[in-house]
Amino acid sequence: MNYFKYIIFGIAATLCNYSFAQKTVRYDLFVRDTLVNFAGKEKKAYSVNGQIPMPELHFTEGDTAEIYIHNELQTETSIHWHGLILPNEQDGVPYLTTAPIKAGTTHIYKFPLVQNGTYWYHSHTKLQEQVGMYGAFIIHKKEKQELPEYIMVLSDWTNMKPFEVHRRLHNANDWSAIKKAKIQKGAAQSYADAIADKSLGIKLVNEWKRMLAMDVSDVYYDKFLTNGKAEDEAPQFKAGDKIRLRIINGSSSTYFWLKYAGGKINVVASDGMDVKPVEVDRLIIAVAEIYDVVVTIPSDSTAFEFMATSEDRIRNTSLWLGSGIKQLASPLEPLKYFEGMKMMNGMIKMDGNLDDMGMNMSLQQMDMNVVMYPEITGRKNDKKTKEHDHSQMENQYNSNALSDIVTLNYSMLKSPTKTKLPDAPTKILNFTLTGNMNRYVWSINNKTVSETDKIMIKKGENVRIILYNNSMMRHPMHLHGHFFRIVNGHGDYSPLKNVLDIMPMETDTIEFAATESGDWFFHCHILYHMMSGMGRIFSYENSPPNPQLPNPKKALKRLYKDDREFHFMFENDFASNGNDGEMMYMNTRWKFQTEWRLGYMDEHGYEAEAHFGRYFGKMQWLFPYVGFDWRYRKMHGDVIEKNIFGQYNTKDLRNALCFGVQYTLPFMIVADGRIDSDGKFRLQLMREDIPISKRLRMSLMYNSDFEYMGGLKYILSKSFALSAHYDSDMGFGGGFTFTY
Amino acid sequence: MKSILNLIIAIPTLLLSTSCDGQIKNAKTVTVKIDGNCEMCEKTIESAANQKKVVSLDWNKDTKQATISYDDSKTNPDEILKRVALAGYDNEKFLAPGDAYAGLPGCCKYDRNRKKSEIEKTITATTDTTAIVQSVVSNQFKAIFDSYFELKNALVKTDAKTAGLKATDLTIQLNKVDMSILENSQHVVWMKVYKNLIAKSELIATAKNIENQRTQFMDVSESMYKLLKVAKLATPVYYQHCPMYNDGKGANWLSMENAVKNPYYGSQMLSCGKTIETIK
Repeated sequence: MNYFKYIIFGIAATLCNYSFAQKTVRYDLFVRDTLVNFAGKEKKAYSVNGQIPMPELHFTEGDTAEIYIHNELQTETSIHWHGLILPNEQDGVPYLTTAPIKAGTTHIYKFPLVQNGTYWYHSHTKLQEQVGMYGAFIIHKKEKQELPEYIMVLSDWTNMKPFEVHRRLHNANDWSAIKKAKIQKGAAQSYADAIADKSLGIKLVNEWKRMLAMDVSDVYYDKFLTNGKAEDEAPQFKAGDKIRLRIINGSSSTYFWLKYAGGKINVVASDGMDVKPVEVDRLIIAVAEIYDVVVTIPSDSTAFEFMATSEDRIRNTSLWLGSGIKQLASPLEPLKYFEGMKMMNGMIKMDGNLDDMGMNMSLQQMDMNVVMYPEITGRKNDKKTKEHDHSQMENQYNSNALSDIVTLNYSMLKSPTKTKLPDAPTKILNFTLTGNMNRYVWSINNKTVSETDKIMIKKGENVRIILYNNSMMRHPMHLHGHFFRIVNGHGDYSPLKNVLDIMPMETDTIEFAATESGDWFFHCHILYHMMSGMGRIFSYENSPPNPQLPNPKKALKRLYKDDREFHFMFENDFASNGNDGEMMYMNTRWKFQTEWRLGYMDEHGYEAEAHFGRYFGKMQWLFPYVGFDWRYRKMHGDVIEKNIFGQYNTKDLRNALCFGVQYTLPFMIVADGRIDSDGKFRLQLMREDIPISKRLRMSLMYNSDFEYMGGLKYILSKSFALSAHYDSDMGFGGGFTFTY
Repeated sequence: MKSILNLIIAIPTLLLSTSCDGQIKNAKTVTVKIDGNCEMCEKTIESAANQKKVVSLDWNKDTKQATISYDDSKTNPDEILKRVALAGYDNEKFLAPGDAYAGLPGCCKYDRNRKKSEIEKTITATTDTTAIVQSVVSNQFKAIFDSYFELKNALVKTDAKTAGLKATDLTIQLNKVDMSILENSQHVVWMKVYKNLIAKSELIATAKNIENQRTQFMDVSESMYKLLKVAKLATPVYYQHCPMYNDGKGANWLSMENAVKNPYYGSQMLSCGKTIETIK
């Protein structure tokens, strides 16, 4: 009898639970084209339910989320639920896990919520995330939380179209550095800036080692936003209140420093997962990363600034907590770029690989960038007078040892519960993060997503990834549909995350239990790096077919299209002595390039050359090509030109096929050796865009046909420049250059 | 000929009139209160606010009133007052960041009346008079030690400018000490060290060069160590030693934390040294 009672009780309890878990929360999201004015100009963007960021979505653990996406755009879209554990076809990566949401259609997402915490959602289609498609996704704990909460969605805004941003990055266009230099002197890191900083030697070594100006972030942003505003306010809080801030970095490519004017910041969760509370003065939040922090309002009638500053320290955005007179946080001082350049000079080897000099860097503990932070390593003019032979290598870059400012790093994160993986066979993968700033190629083990096969994993095994960052930028690596543990010395209590920020030269180990099925993306969350192919796909063996992708092969091709995309570039100099220009059409490895020099008279000649070739090697210094060369020039009398090799020059009329190879030498001088179908050799040395000052660029060329050229360009705007050059064929000319 | 002459006269006049300062278009004028003390403050406040042809601010040190003329199409009072606060000066709209205020020279350290006290730290007054006296005494010394630690931190950062400012603060705190309320033992030690302390911290304040500051800092630290023995501070202090400084003779300093951050070498060899005594 007693037995029976228990069973009844048990069933009742289950039913009770069941009905609680069965609560379905529905949201309807309408994606529309919109016009916004964030930074002085009206620009196109995408809004959801009329707002940017997308609306906050609130749930309770155990709910079922049912979300209708109504695509009212002219183009297809998608929504990815960042950090959520859900069935593969709900993950929202178009062509990989989920059907794309075509223009004018509605797509229904439905999945149970098996976790709690702060998460976010965003478009995973093309560059849509940059123009407004990001929002907060909060899953509350079942038990009521005692602290009041506030959500802070950070984002970056540029008045330039994201397509243009991406195209210009691939063309090594430096307009964004000029824009930054308008705000912060020296940010262009030209030769003139180097001389003013007494750092000419550093700049020379930097160019010798084939590096472009140090860029802490690639893109110039016109505004940074907190919940869609330059400054957001939360006046409802009073003195003594402790507030849980849920901070989501929804920006496309900006890391932010977080500081609070009202005292310490208590970090309590990261990427949705609780951590043992840790008190810091500041922290950096990587792209797509999430931190929950607790801050206190220390006094009455005052609004305290919670400030987010972009990593390049060009601008900030703030949240004011409390009401009354505004207590400012102290701004971060400008970076000491040439100190950073000096540090990079020391770390980079001639072959372009990085050398950590045996420092075993990991987990953000040794921040090489501290050499650029005045608040940690002092201002430039206070520089120490003499170097000491005893300099302590192990602390040279340790921010927390160098100053009183406590900066959060991953070794300080500790899980409150055991996170040990089940006993199972472990698959070990080594990923070296690779990149090339000059051509904006980003990859893993020097291969993009489309250049590799999916990585097959088995359900039930553990996967350990050892990441080494051999590129010069930091990367926020994100894994879909799983949490990984960061192996950080806390053993069984290693923290769980789904985004790992890895700095140059760091080695970090992450591991996860393979418990799902289907295909899952692992990629750098800097939007432009992801679109360039920095990622991998994990694929579970023997997964059931995905009903949303009836033709998986075709779908995969569409996904690969992203990083195979060709970028177009055009430049023409309209000068007094002729037209001079080039056009390029290129992707990760291939480039089609044509150049022309068209005089206004027969004596000045007409020339056109076209090349098609492929880049080789991680640094892409080697470029063999085939091409075609056509030229016509009327010569006076019987002038016969001879080249260095004693061969006669047929400049007057030439139609020739040519085969050649370009190689980038130190100082970024491009050596170009070629032979044409008439048997003529030509060797040419050329350096373009030498940064003389903020806006002044110089080009030099000399070849074995005794042709030479020298030119100066003064950049007026993103498309126009004043130019002057001297050319051995066409003489002196001046005019303006148009660049697309 | 005459017209050429006219032109010659006209050109410089034109140049003069365009380069003339203070010509603000769409000018609006407001008066606001900005806290501050002296002429030095006036300079800092005005240069933080002023922008050629956009903002002109005039601050009066007696009335603390500032008259701001600004170009209404280009800026607003909030932007201007924010810059003033970032330079260290509280005003009607903004409170200066803690470190901006702390970085002001001693004479500019105005009373921060606008800043509301932190609620947790307003402790109810005690009726025990001896306790009050005791707390005043230790407060006297505490202020000295606070200044000393700030000076040390500036030396750790190899920041000569801040070190100079902190040394000025230290001198001010040393001069403030009221000897009449010191305990006997404290009085004895104080009489021994105070002259040397004041002299040496003045030297640090005037030295432009970090190396000279560090040399003087050795002596200051020795005296502070003696003072510490009788100061009865609430928190433990660590007495630390670097064996290399002073041509290998070694040098000592005091720190609030056990981790070594060497004020004699800064980042050159930051963690050189060890704790030799913990004073509680």
